[in-house]
Amino acid sequence: MNYRMVLRTQGVILMLEALFMSIAAFVSVYYGEPTAVMLFMSTGITFLCGIILWLTIKPKEKTVRAKEGLIVTAIAWILLSLFGSLPFIFSKTYPTATDAIFETISGFTTTGATISTNLEAIPNGIMLWRCITHWIGGMGILALAVALLPTLSGGLNFVLKAESPGPEFSKIRPKTSSSAKLLYVIYIMLTLSEFVALLIAGMSPFDAILHSLSTAGTGGFNNYSDSVAHFNSATIEAIITVFMILFGVNFSLYYAVLLGNVKSLFRSEELRWYLGFYAAGTLIITFLVTGNYNGQFLQAFRYTSFTVAATMSTTGFVTTNFDLWPLAAKAIIVSFMFVGGCAGSTAGGMKVVRIALMIKQSFHEVRHSVQPRRVNSIRFEKRTVDNGILHSVAVFFFTHICLVIIGTLLVSLCGQYDFESNLTAVITCICNVGPGLAKLGPAENFAGYHAFAKYVLAFLMLAGRLEIFPMLALFTSASWKKAN
Amino acid sequence: MKILVIGVGKVGQNIAEHLVKEGHDIVVVDEREEVVRHCCDSLDVMGINGNGANVKVLLEAKAEEADMLIATTASDEINMLCCLIAKRLGTGHVIARIRDPEYHDNLNLLQKELDIDMAVNPERATALEIGRLLRFPFANNIEAFARGKVELVEFSAQPNDAVVGVPISDIGKRSLMPRVLYAAVERNDKCIIPDGNFIIEPGDHVFVAADSVTITAYFSYLGKNTTRVKHVMIMGGGRISYYLAKIIIPMGIHVTIIEVDPVKAAKLSDILPEANVILGDGTDQDILEQEDLKKMDAFVTLSDRDEENLMTGLFATKLGVPKVIVKNNRISYGDVLKTIGLDSMVSPKSITSDSILRYARGAINSEGTKVEYLYRLMNGKAEVLEFTAKASDSYIGIQLKDLTSKTGTIVAVIVRNSKIIIPFGNDHIEPGDRVIVISSITGITDLNEVISK
Repeated sequence: MNYRMVLRTQGVILMLEALFMSIAAFVSVYYGEPTAVMLFMSTGITFLCGIILWLTIKPKEKTVRAKEGLIVTAIAWILLSLFGSLPFIFSKTYPTATDAIFETISGFTTTGATISTNLEAIPNGIMLWRCITHWIGGMGILALAVALLPTLSGGLNFVLKAESPGPEFSKIRPKTSSSAKLLYVIYIMLTLSEFVALLIAGMSPFDAILHSLSTAGTGGFNNYSDSVAHFNSATIEAIITVFMILFGVNFSLYYAVLLGNVKSLFRSEELRWYLGFYAAGTLIITFLVTGNYNGQFLQAFRYTSFTVAATMSTTGFVTTNFDLWPLAAKAIIVSFMFVGGCAGSTAGGMKVVRIALMIKQSFHEVRHSVQPRRVNSIRFEKRTVDNGILHSVAVFFFTHICLVIIGTLLVSLCGQYDFESNLTAVITCICNVGPGLAKLGPAENFAGYHAFAKYVLAFLMLAGRLEIFPMLALFTSASWKKAN
Repeated sequence: MKILVIGVGKVGQNIAEHLVKEGHDIVVVDEREEVVRHCCDSLDVMGINGNGANVKVLLEAKAEEADMLIATTASDEINMLCCLIAKRLGTGHVIARIRDPEYHDNLNLLQKELDIDMAVNPERATALEIGRLLRFPFANNIEAFARGKVELVEFSAQPNDAVVGVPISDIGKRSLMPRVLYAAVERNDKCIIPDGNFIIEPGDHVFVAADSVTITAYFSYLGKNTTRVKHVMIMGGGRISYYLAKIIIPMGIHVTIIEVDPVKAAKLSDILPEANVILGDGTDQDILEQEDLKKMDAFVTLSDRDEENLMTGLFATKLGVPKVIVKNNRISYGDVLKTIGLDSMVSPKSITSDSILRYARGAINSEGTKVEYLYRLMNGKAEVLEFTAKASDSYIGIQLKDLTSKTGTIVAVIVRNSKIIIPFGNDHIEPGDRVIVISSITGITDLNEVISK
């Protein structure tokens, strides 16, 4: 394994992380908070480690091969999270280091599951750092590194593939670095748009930044215990709903639109499935829950449309305690957690394209068993889907479910809560959504869990964000063998 | 620059690899999905799976914005179609690989009508290369620059050669010895650009450059066998053999071609009346001996299979044939072959890549000194570049010994007003000079990168 290149890349990532940490530190100074010191300390340590790695390690070979690509990504994200938890640890925002690490990983993986018991007490600088982790994690820190330092990109092809969500890695420009740069530009533009929209709707600037960053990464962290319900504003909820859905769309479509090709939006099959799931889910659930809102259809629609958008985009913002909804509605919400957003977006879950492909495959199998001789190919986006992709999607699905089962078993070992809580905790973490049901519901938090459970859930969060295989590759000996 | 490469077999991929290293945006197109995927995995390029002659595919690849399109699929027709359509869509330059001699005969017309900027014929280019090697049998490799005025010759240093065991600066002091520039030395698979203190050892592959007259005199002085090749045997009757025969027969060389396929053999004897066409299996040693392989001055193996070429070539070497030239397409095996005694190897794919890269680099460079010629030595370990010096460049008029030159590069030859100058420290460069540079660093596109104040 090309250890040198791996470590050198870590150096760059840590330096970038320190840069963002310093932003939070400066904001902390602006608000005159004592925690600014801890933020600067964390920045300093992270930057120092980063620059030491960068300067001292000279790789003999600049390329990272396929097998190393997976591990590099996993290690990068683990280190990212460990250093990212320093602000929390130093400022003692949370009781234990485990909690700090859990919160950080929840941040970078854009899950949004929190162990904070008193959000309002968290100082602004730290709060901003929480949301910044969402923003960086959404698009990916490695993508950012490559966008800023094109010279890294040549060897990092496989690493980027591992970090970017979706069954296929497609670029919008020939060079990986140009592609990453453009995607980040679109990302920044969309984030700013939401910020402006929220300002106009009446949010304070600080709140608006936090919510924009959080929506952009489809994370779900914010600064009020009652999440977005705090504002009690249909306008704000509508704006956030729209942007949540937008951030769950494949960014290459936005690139196409920018180039003037608006038709591609209508041609995208994945987008149609995504919006189709959303429309169907919202309508059905609205009818199911009207009873909860005194028969007020419009109110039910308001809360449902927000919640379904939050679930599918895996953001996890909350405007209503959906744990009180009828069972059927809750079941749909949990199922939608698995679906997630589109490939090439910041959303989590299995991704709409995979679900769509598997549904098509199931129909295909049924047709095939009825008429064995008929030749039929599975098509998506007007192209025949390669068998290799179908295979990898099926394996991904199975591995995902296995992790859910094993995860639930492990969490249950701690003997806490009940089955519904533990199962939905696991699902919400691996799908990077945020809230679960019952004891981990929208009005609750993850603080009460045992440390072991927290680590299991944190691992699942990383596995979900990195689409499983990079984290699993950590356990195979083949990945660690020395190449030279 | 934005470049499309249609068809990424060995040649296409090689070209894409070099162009990516030089910083261009490359899009590769191929009908075979695994090939495209493999290309995208190993190179920083965008890949499209489809037929390059299909307008939809070219539009998807944004051919209208592309500066250059290089068509290297297996089919001449598809290559030509790609170029035609792309040019109409708006691509800047289009290059096609065209192998079939039928098309080649009308190449000029084709190029004009179809608006193809450059057509590469690998077989003919290879035949030309082999022809050059046959002119100087003792050399492993010869390349001509500055419109043929300068020759770069590679030879293996033998233990009793006069140049062995002496520092290069001392060799130059011998007044009787013709002065050549020792441009590069390959030792143990490494490329070394020698300075004055370098000592040549037996077994080194030495590259020297000078004008044609001096080169001939130099090798005579060294006692190398400069007798002309009179009898050549060619194994395999394919397109390269055809082109080769057409080149060397007018030079007065007697050609014997051995071909195993009766239909091909018959056709050959039709189109090459002066050649001696033998129907037989060239790998069969009995046939080779029957046809007097021992008496041949040179043996060229041009069958379709690399392995047969290598084994038969080895056999001929052991038999004592003075010059054996082997066609081998596996570019990576080049170094291995030298260790088993096959010094002269031609690779049609390398030659094709080189031609195309040469054209591409020339078209690319609009600022700085234009690269007009590119040749790769030692399997790509070194490059020979030819530039024209411009009046606005920084190194003009300054003596070479006062200029800093990049490590691993050397100014080999200066051609001024048709005069060849082997540069000394106190020579300088004037505007309009053609400067030939040898570099162990790849990707240089500007003379200013090599030498500066």
